Amino acid sequence: MADTLVVTPDITFIREVMASGGEDLKKCYQCATCSVVCELSPDEAPFPRRQMVYAQWGLRDRLMADPAIWLCHQCNDCSTRCPRGVRPGDVLAAIRQQVVLHYAAPRFLGRWLSQPRSIPLVLGIPAALLTLALLARDRVADALGLSVVPTGRIVFAYSSLFPRWMLNGFFGFFALLAFVAILVGVLRFWRAMRAAVPADRRGQPVAGLISSTLSALARIVTHRNFASCTTARSRFVSHVCTMFGFIALAVVSLWVITAAYNPLIRGDFVYPFSFWNPWKILANVGGVAVLAGCCLMIRDRLRENGSASSSSYADWALLFTLLLVTITGFFTEGLHFMRLEPHRHVAYFVHLVFAFTALMYLPYTKFAHLAYRGAAMVFAERYGQTREASSMAPVNRQDAQQEG
Amino acid sequence: MTQTQVRDTGGRPVLVIGGGIAGVTTAVEAAEAGCDVILVEKLPYLGGRVARLFRYFPKLCPPGCGLEINFRRIKINPRITVLTQATVDDISGSPGDFQATITVAPRFVTDACTLCDKCAEVCPVERPDDFNLDMDRTRAAYLPHRLAYPPLYVIDRVACPSGCTACRDACAYGAIDLTQQPARRTVKVAAVVAATGWAPYDATKIDNLGFGRYPNVVTNVMLERLAAPDGPTRGRILRPSDGQPPASIAFVQCAGSRDENHLPYCSAVCCAASLKHVTYLRDVYPEARITIFYIDLRTPGRLEDFLQKVTADERLTLIKGKVAGVEEDPATHDLMVTAEDVMGGRKITQTVNLLVLATGIVPQTDGLPAGFALDEYRFVAHSNGGTGMFAAGCVTRPEEVSATVQDATGAALKALQAVVRSAHHG
Repeated sequence: MADTLVVTPDITFIREVMASGGEDLKKCYQCATCSVVCELSPDEAPFPRRQMVYAQWGLRDRLMADPAIWLCHQCNDCSTRCPRGVRPGDVLAAIRQQVVLHYAAPRFLGRWLSQPRSIPLVLGIPAALLTLALLARDRVADALGLSVVPTGRIVFAYSSLFPRWMLNGFFGFFALLAFVAILVGVLRFWRAMRAAVPADRRGQPVAGLISSTLSALARIVTHRNFASCTTARSRFVSHVCTMFGFIALAVVSLWVITAAYNPLIRGDFVYPFSFWNPWKILANVGGVAVLAGCCLMIRDRLRENGSASSSSYADWALLFTLLLVTITGFFTEGLHFMRLEPHRHVAYFVHLVFAFTALMYLPYTKFAHLAYRGAAMVFAERYGQTREASSMAPVNRQDAQQEG
Repeated sequence: MTQTQVRDTGGRPVLVIGGGIAGVTTAVEAAEAGCDVILVEKLPYLGGRVARLFRYFPKLCPPGCGLEINFRRIKINPRITVLTQATVDDISGSPGDFQATITVAPRFVTDACTLCDKCAEVCPVERPDDFNLDMDRTRAAYLPHRLAYPPLYVIDRVACPSGCTACRDACAYGAIDLTQQPARRTVKVAAVVAATGWAPYDATKIDNLGFGRYPNVVTNVMLERLAAPDGPTRGRILRPSDGQPPASIAFVQCAGSRDENHLPYCSAVCCAASLKHVTYLRDVYPEARITIFYIDLRTPGRLEDFLQKVTADERLTLIKGKVAGVEEDPATHDLMVTAEDVMGGRKITQTVNLLVLATGIVPQTDGLPAGFALDEYRFVAHSNGGTGMFAAGCVTRPEEVSATVQDATGAALKALQAVVRSAHHG
């Protein structure tokens, strides 16, 4: 009791958490049922009971530097058991949104994207940028001495409107911006987490950075955390579908984008692929998986709504963006196989707008969870804050009490 | 103080539903003020939940202490009619002029019973002893408990083998009449007081605490019986699984109370009850290690002193944090209870020999005749108006015995007012 804690509540933060899913936050009476029923909560640093009181008190800075916020996978086991109907799962989800906003670089983009009224501009900006790129296409091509007609090994472009160099240049530029933004955010998050660990023995790393990363990756790939959920059991399936589907699409896209410089490819690289090309099959399977995963998630969110969990704008925004990217993708593919002009150009344009929305806004939307949760999971491995590491802790105070 | 000194109120009687401490108090207070009372109890004996306590607040005396004097007041007062094994099926009419229909189930034992126990000795079958919360058994011919009032045996005909007349044949006083039939009667009353009390929350519904699955998880009301000298372990508080004395005991407060999934309200008495249980255990087991897991320890008024006194015990640990997981070691039947120690900021798992769930109070309003207004938690809402239908005790809110007695005295006054009004107008 020697330390004096001066609590400076961040009232705005409390209001924002309550507005984005944690409306019953103040009802929590700290019984800690949540921390016990949570299958992911480690013994030595249990959550979410402590995070609930921090949020009630408006201790924003502590929460912004707390990896436990991201170790939660929103199984909602806590929410169904909560005696006060507070839904800690939703409160932590609301805090995660605040973390994304907090580390967003530049910050105004996060605020802007978190509001439903921004939707017209959110979609309008990529549409306008793409239109500008199209209008400037011929002039840029002349200046750089490039051809607007598909050349090389590409026999029939998805859309003759968009030459490869233009797409690669356009998306490459914005992807670089997005990458820098998320990297800045995650590095700031990591530094904050590092600063928040105690300076004593417990604050020392227990594993190397590489081995921590590998452990966290194994955990992510196997979906071990999702598998331990009781209430949101189906989230395991839907996240596996969405994540691996998305990875499949990303791999195929990278393969195509880098094809021109790929020494492994000899001879003709025929793009777009034929329907039975293995790459095309992988892409289609991936697309179907994302579609199925998103539909499952939407079904679960509608079903849970109001009971175990309620969904916020950020949840729906990410789900529908991914869903629309996939749907417009399949639409374009269909029109392309039917060789419908100019329909396939229009569909492709719309698809590109949604692809931009999903990927380029990633650092500012719920999609950023892949970076922040990933970082928090690596951090938890490195500093022994996973459930497994914690339960192996040598001294259990209760045991000591029993002996004494 | 005797009824002969009191002028008759002259009106119709008061009907009191429930013969626990609330109903008994209402009945004697109203009757001693000069009014006729019909006291209806569904069990074969009076005393209700208080009769099943080992000791009770504020003086931690055994229940006989308060009940015996009240039974005596009933016994000597001709204004009180006690109907046991009786239920009120229906109430109609208006304040001052109610008509109540009462069904009285047969006891099969008449007032000639001398408590000689011959009937129980010859009885060939056993039944679960509901007085001891089914933790042991009695014969089908039995005395409900040592201080039972009326002091008469009962025959549980449901448990009887068909055609058996062993008890009747053995009774030297001709006190057993196996041909008795249920009787229905209609009475005119001026006022009705519901004093149907409470039941402990069904702990099997709290599925993460293991009650009903693990034998050594008991409830607080079971602990009262285990501690009572006439209880199933003769007051020695032994583990249900092996009859061994427990060396470590934990209490789970708010087991079902203050929980939207169970009882949303605070049951008010469980904190003080668990502290009282610590004193029971400490009397029998001076070395036992006791832990109370709590959210908030609520001991209003003078109970604060009791809290200080009990928690001075060095082998009692208080842990802020609700137990949310219980597992059993199948070999020893010990229990592993998990909670987050909120003050220590870590999750702990403690192994104990016996786990006591401090279950809460559920109002007994399901069998009440229509006409009583219930609140959102199904307690009877207090009525101060001229409805002529009143309530007292734990059926109105969770409360301790002394508050119940005061509540009952207030209900008696309200009933008396209704009686006097009806006598003047009717």
